[in-house]
Amino acid sequence: MLMCKDLAGIASDYIDGELNTGQNLSVKFHLMMCSDCRTFIGNLRMSTKLMQAHSGNVPNEEFIREIDRRVHEALEQKKSRPTDSD
Amino acid sequence: MDTAQATDSEQELIEKLKERDPASYHLAVRTYSPGMLAVARFYLDPSTAEEVVQDCWVTVIDAIAKFEGRSGLKTWLHRIVANRCKNKLRSAKREVSTDFQEQLDPDLADRFNASGRWQTPPKLCFEETAESLLENGALSDCLDKHLSKLPETQRSALMLYEAHQHKSADVCNILDVNASNLRVLLHRARQKIFLMVEHFQETGEC
Repeated sequence: MLMCKDLAGIASDYIDGELNTGQNLSVKFHLMMCSDCRTFIGNLRMSTKLMQAHSGNVPNEEFIREIDRRVHEALEQKKSRPTDSD
Repeated sequence: MDTAQATDSEQELIEKLKERDPASYHLAVRTYSPGMLAVARFYLDPSTAEEVVQDCWVTVIDAIAKFEGRSGLKTWLHRIVANRCKNKLRSAKREVSTDFQEQLDPDLADRFNASGRWQTPPKLCFEETAESLLENGALSDCLDKHLSKLPETQRSALMLYEAHQHKSADVCNILDVNASNLRVLLHRARQKIFLMVEHFQETGEC
């Protein structure tokens, strides 16, 4: 029988629908009986939604400005000195 | 296999980039650099990763002429970064090491007893939506802090899959990991984030 710890190990696959039919059924069966695991799955699901909504590690503004500067420099150079492909 | 074709608005941007329109480069740099940096950080240390992303943008100016839109622009850019990183690793003879054996984060594993039942079960249900939870700036900051503490491999996998919404096949291709290893990286990263959010909700502290 699937124990809570086993379920925690495959919870992420369950959320993403990556389990095979047998595994999926045993997770569902376990969840029917175990409120702790239902809470765990609900909270893990929420954590993944948080990650989707979170913009993540936004690089610092200085880094973006540096890329902007280099790209514009390169664009200017190519304007005055077109490459072979132009 | 490419899983995302370029959309119409993306196609418009691609055409502008091919015309070397500065404003479009400005927009593209802001839109795509965070994901590109996430890819580079999978392979390289922070400062080398930033260098690689900068160099990639300069090469994009010429390379975009050959871009045919068979994949999305984001996927194409991420692959350029990944390839450049892999070349850099090869020349430096460095290996990316990742432990793919353990399914459970040690802090989560400790919460079960010997028979595999919960010893310290999750207490709270997160009932609000993700968006309303994130309105709490402190939670958002805490998420950033914990993301930056994740192993690079886990963070990149999580960022590409969740925040940048790549399909599994694309993430595997970009990060050069097989499907089952990607699953482990995602498991582990999500568990860490789960533990962090739970701690934050219970204590109000990061």
